[in-house]
Amino acid sequence: MTSPVMVVRLPRGPDGQSRGFDPTSPRYHALAPSSIQASNNCCSSNLREEQRSRSGLRERFLRSLIAMAGKPVDFTMYERVSVTAVFAASDIDILNFQVSHLQTPLGVQKEALLRCPDIIAYAFDL
Amino acid sequence: MRSAGTREQGDWESICTVNMNEWITKKPLEWEKYLNKEVKVTADEKNAYQGWVFTVDPVSGSIVLVNFVDTGKVSVVTIMGHAIQTVELISEGENNTTEKLSALFMPVAAKVYSNEELGQRKSSLKSWLEKNRIPVTEQGDQHTVLCVAGVLTVSPPYNPEDCNSSNEIILSRVQSLINCNPDADHKTD
Repeated sequence: MTSPVMVVRLPRGPDGQSRGFDPTSPRYHALAPSSIQASNNCCSSNLREEQRSRSGLRERFLRSLIAMAGKPVDFTMYERVSVTAVFAASDIDILNFQVSHLQTPLGVQKEALLRCPDIIAYAFDL
Repeated sequence: MRSAGTREQGDWESICTVNMNEWITKKPLEWEKYLNKEVKVTADEKNAYQGWVFTVDPVSGSIVLVNFVDTGKVSVVTIMGHAIQTVELISEGENNTTEKLSALFMPVAAKVYSNEELGQRKSSLKSWLEKNRIPVTEQGDQHTVLCVAGVLTVSPPYNPEDCNSSNEIILSRVQSLINCNPDADHKTD
């Protein structure tokens, strides 16, 4: 069992303060969807159908996140980087994942935050 | 009403393949058509994934695919919406695919308690909370629901996950308290 490495701090962002996770930064606003996919038509029964569909899909997705909590997950990231970590939580916009025991080429990070735009896919066993 | 055969064919054609970057612009009703079907997804950097669609997240457009491995294991892979390039329909699925997939992620059935046991658990929790100087009253027709400080309710069987509140701080405080109630028999799942 490898021992955890010291936390490696990211350099400060261009605005001189954040380290890439500032929810008030222009970058975060650009990434977070300002509106989600929705129809424009004002026919209320269509909207009801669409809303029913949206909540059903989202509930299933949230359940898949719950099933992942506490389990080791393999993350495929860009630049052919692959890491494994124990998944803990996600934020509401699916922009950040909180993980622990993150195995990286530098060593094991005890706690870490993964930026979802850096992830291509993630896999785990139920 | 058209017969089931022609309706399926129309749907099949409309969702057979999705071109680059089109996926993330779809609407929930269009995504819903892919549920419980087997698809092949190609993503950025030449990654390809195949499996049964459990869901598509309407917020991020991410597809959750499930694969049933021979050994009885279930493997789940989620491809992030922003990385999806193409989605190709492989098969429609059997009659039981929908139930099989839905059952996968549902919470495990809880232990069943008798009315007497439930009454005991309720009293035990009520006195524990009162011992910790937390105001608690009984609510509902059968007085089965405990109301804590007017902002949180605990329903039978009075486990931490049976707490309901819009106040996160009180919720987490009460849940920890329930967990360390020395009187309750801590049944392991």
